[in-house]
Amino acid sequence: MGNSQTALFVVLFLCINACAKEIPALSADKIVTKANIAAYYQASDGRAKVNMEIVNSRGDVKVREFIILRKDITDGGDQKFYVYFQRPADIRRMVFMVHKHVDKENEDDRWLYLPSLDLVNRIASGDKRTSFVGSDYFYEDVSGRSLSADTHELLAQDEEYYIVRNIPKYPEEVEFSYYDMNIDKQTFLPMSILFYDKKQVLYRKIEVVKSGEVQLYPTVFEVLVTNLSTKNITRMRFSQIKYDIDLPDIFSERYLRRPPRKFLR
Amino acid sequence: MKLFDKNIDRKLVEYAVLHHRKITIVMLVVTAILASFIPKVQVDTDPENMLSSDEPVRIYHHKMKEKFAIYDLVVLGVVNEENRNGVFNPETLSKVFELTEFVKALNWEEDGKKVGVVDVEVMAPSEVDHVSNLGAGTISFEWLMKNPPKTQQQADELKLKAKSNPLLTDTVFSNDDQAVAIYIPLTSKDVGYRVYIEINKHLAEKYSGSQEKFYLAGLPIAEDTFGVEMFLQMSISAPLAMLVVFLLLYFFFRKLILIFSPMIVAIVSIVCTMGLLIGTGHPIHIMTSMIPIFLMPIAVVDSVHILSEFFDRYTKEKGRRETIVDVMHELFIPMFYTSLTSAAGFASLALTPIPPVQVFGLFVAAGIMIAWLCTVTFVPAYIMSIKEKTLAGFDQSSSQLSRENPLARLLHLLGRFVFKRAKLILVISLLLVIISGVGISKIQVNDNPVKWFTITHPIRVADIELNKHFGGTYMSYLILEEKAQEVDIPVYAQELSEEFVLEIPKWKLAGYVEIETIAAQMNELFLKLSKTATSREELLMAVFDQAYELSFDAQSDQEVETWDVVGEYFGLMNESLKPFKQPENLRYMSRLQQRLSQSGYVGKSNSLSDIVKKVHQELVDGEEENFKIPDSSNAVAQCLMQYQSGHKPYDLWHFVTNDYRHANIWLQLTSGDNKDMQQVISIVDEFVTENPLPDNIELNWAGLTYINVVWQQKMVFGMLQSFAGSFLVVFVMMVILFRSVGWGLLCMAPLTITILLIYGATGFLGKDYDMPTAVLSSLTLGMAVDFAIHFIQRVRTTYAQTGSWRGTNKVMFGEPARAISRNVIVIAIGFLPLLAAGLVPYRTVGVMLCCIMALSGSITLILLPAMIKIWRRKLIKQCYSVKCASCNCYLCSVVAISIVAMVLLGVEQYIESDWKILAGIAGVIVAILLVICRLITHRNKCKDIHGHKNNEE
Repeated sequence: MGNSQTALFVVLFLCINACAKEIPALSADKIVTKANIAAYYQASDGRAKVNMEIVNSRGDVKVREFIILRKDITDGGDQKFYVYFQRPADIRRMVFMVHKHVDKENEDDRWLYLPSLDLVNRIASGDKRTSFVGSDYFYEDVSGRSLSADTHELLAQDEEYYIVRNIPKYPEEVEFSYYDMNIDKQTFLPMSILFYDKKQVLYRKIEVVKSGEVQLYPTVFEVLVTNLSTKNITRMRFSQIKYDIDLPDIFSERYLRRPPRKFLR
Repeated sequence: MKLFDKNIDRKLVEYAVLHHRKITIVMLVVTAILASFIPKVQVDTDPENMLSSDEPVRIYHHKMKEKFAIYDLVVLGVVNEENRNGVFNPETLSKVFELTEFVKALNWEEDGKKVGVVDVEVMAPSEVDHVSNLGAGTISFEWLMKNPPKTQQQADELKLKAKSNPLLTDTVFSNDDQAVAIYIPLTSKDVGYRVYIEINKHLAEKYSGSQEKFYLAGLPIAEDTFGVEMFLQMSISAPLAMLVVFLLLYFFFRKLILIFSPMIVAIVSIVCTMGLLIGTGHPIHIMTSMIPIFLMPIAVVDSVHILSEFFDRYTKEKGRRETIVDVMHELFIPMFYTSLTSAAGFASLALTPIPPVQVFGLFVAAGIMIAWLCTVTFVPAYIMSIKEKTLAGFDQSSSQLSRENPLARLLHLLGRFVFKRAKLILVISLLLVIISGVGISKIQVNDNPVKWFTITHPIRVADIELNKHFGGTYMSYLILEEKAQEVDIPVYAQELSEEFVLEIPKWKLAGYVEIETIAAQMNELFLKLSKTATSREELLMAVFDQAYELSFDAQSDQEVETWDVVGEYFGLMNESLKPFKQPENLRYMSRLQQRLSQSGYVGKSNSLSDIVKKVHQELVDGEEENFKIPDSSNAVAQCLMQYQSGHKPYDLWHFVTNDYRHANIWLQLTSGDNKDMQQVISIVDEFVTENPLPDNIELNWAGLTYINVVWQQKMVFGMLQSFAGSFLVVFVMMVILFRSVGWGLLCMAPLTITILLIYGATGFLGKDYDMPTAVLSSLTLGMAVDFAIHFIQRVRTTYAQTGSWRGTNKVMFGEPARAISRNVIVIAIGFLPLLAAGLVPYRTVGVMLCCIMALSGSITLILLPAMIKIWRRKLIKQCYSVKCASCNCYLCSVVAISIVAMVLLGVEQYIESDWKILAGIAGVIVAILLVICRLITHRNKCKDIHGHKNNEE
């Protein structure tokens, strides 16, 4: 590193420190864009094993386990997901696949493979805010809600977090009136998302319980979803996380019936 | 009577007469103290409390409610019979939508808890999902009615969607398209009335005069509303009855000042009893709310006897003091016995296994004794406090009036007729008894809390209307569950291991590499883990996990597949332990539901099997032929996983527990009649006999409709038992009172016949034998025996004085008959205002009281003299002295046997022993008692009596 470069770096560093207090460093749109990338687009592809515990109000626990494979087409743009179920044994080999499209006109393509019926079904576009396999997590939470579906407003910020309010552009399509995200200033991971119903009452929250770094990428290790009206919770633990695994295009109907073993281990 | 001092009556009355002020004050003070408890009243209208809280069926019901998150449901029905499209039009559906939003908000914070409507569990068109196959392998999950349709075309589309889902037909949408229902779950039954009122208010404000009709039904509101109206009724009917009794008394006695005394006695005993009841911490239950109504006639009767007698005997010369002492002497023993027998009749209700009935019986019994105490102390004291001057002119008017009024003349004629036609009367009575027997055999045991409301009551109307359109507003739950079983894990593991080995060649054939080595390794691991595992599930999951871990060391992708398939084998074995993922069990449920729907009693049933069928159909292609349970349990699991991918994943847990070991079939019945629920139970029993339940599965019932049947069964047999018990108690008391078996039996005749006639008529008229009807048997017993005691007691004293039956008969149909008739008329008519009540049980009580009084009174006056005439020779031979009675072996034996039978009846319910053993023990005790009887009655002192008798013969 040359001297001039060092000098430039120092100047920049000072400026950031000095300017931060006067003008907001980033606009709300910029923040959510970064957050979106941190949450859904780390690296160009990746995989993780997910252990999902669904606990109902009586304390009964159901466990599901699946592997998620992801490949981005463009950062912050289209991407593909392949969710392969492992547990319980009787839903093993079931696959849920998404081709996510970010532009509003082009709805996501979603497929479902049911091995016991040997059926591949396309899931009709429409409501994505339905339960993901019986949990308090929604299908939309798996692949991420389109940034263009909401308007974003920076409510506040402190040392650690940006607090961004997201208001749906088409309120009749969703069950919430708005949701607030606490976005970590360092990692840009949304650390909690609070959903408010039509009466402005908090009824659902998603919280990151544990996070860290994998291959230098800020990564979530444990998420807790709480449904305050049904008193149910869903806990997801991510393990065996790997980024940049050079996924080939296994996101086609052909691979629903013949899962790509190599990447599921 | 050796029981107490011969002159105790005289002493008591003289004390009362002397200290009349003191007595009045004491009575008023005690009453005021007890009355102060009344404001602390608590109400309990839950018929569930007919069973004690530790009753197994109740505990089970609550456990299942908890397990399946079942709430008590209120049904709001919207009916549109005007529109061509029924409810499927934009206006009606938007009203339904708005109403759904409204009811979802009907909850309140109370003591930090949310009470009212459980918003997330509301079931309505806008709260359910629509799963459909759009063709070309595309399925869609969406809200059925996310927003109300804006055009008729949209409404038509909605109709098509709704119709395609059998889970909704007859539940949310009626088959005739004319009605739609919103199912409103409540946090607890006791908010039912509040929710009812709020919804009605909203409907009145927003939708009055609209094309649709709105109905609210469901047991929780019926029960809770009943509680509210019960109080209203109590505060109207009871005072009204009192007023009518008062007017009738005035009509008979014409002396206002005099007839205040029975009213005061009635009020004092009712207030004291209710004060005691509430003060001892008992809530007012539908049963105990009737205490005032039951106590009133009983409390009034004795004072009317006193007044009647006083009225007839009073002369200026004799004065009030001497007259009342005279009257009390005459009436003291019969009044004491009548009160004791009535009290015993009610106290015997304590033997029924139904807590509110027990409380009711005991407190009415206490009230009767309070009334008695008031009567014998306060009434004389009261008469004393009336100035002689006030009574002036009373003698002529009174005696004259009472001897020459039409009632007196009628009774006179009746007396003559009865004496002449004794045999005819007996024959007619016997015929009536036989006819009643036929009627009783037709009695229909039945109850339904909704039918406690009259046919025009909005709750009843709603019930009728909604059950016309839908599968039913009465819920019951048929629970299928796995029996707890002991499994020897090593044995199980050994067997499974052998089966596992048999699978290997198949895998080998399928081309799994290294299958033999890997399978052997797994098998070894499995057997090793089986030694320490505590359950099959734990063992299988451990092996499943291990296979996954071990696959990481695999050399190739193919080898991973082998690990997978082997691990999966054990994983699937674990799933196969869950009975309600198995297609055959779901099919069994389906068949059972089909049988139920054919029966006509069950309007709709929903279960896990319906869900699986519907999801399977839509996943495959949406065609009707795929509305079926798939063949593998994996397919079942995958269908369920899809069902859970909707907006309400937790709905599944209403039908199966998440361990898949308990399943719930939700039955909707169009009738809440216990007899109909009973039919459903027997249909299920029949089905299970013909189609044995799957291995290790048992079947149980839950739900309010079922609980009502259980307590009813308990009530019917409990009542019968307690009635038999009190019958024996009264009989023994009568035998002791009259010191004669013959007179005792005679005394039981009017009440026996009254009861036979009443219940015979109940059977013929098709009136259901329900709770009030059952409880009235105790009242009948108490009232009818009262008249008989008064009558017989007087017959015996009169006969002793006149020495002729004809003469006795003549006297009897004078003043004593008038007293009885007055009583009959006062109470029979006095309770007719109950007929105006809006609640059916009160009407029943009104009608029955009237009939009971009229029948028992007339039977006493007609049948008793006839029987006495026919059996006069036998009756006269009985000696009445204490000594004579104590030497009567026959009497002693009858009493001994009755007492043993009585104890047996009482004990039987509390001991879970075989009837035969109990009967055996009883037999032995009877034998011993008979020997003792023989010894006592043949003791030395008795010799002269027996000798005397022998000489006579």
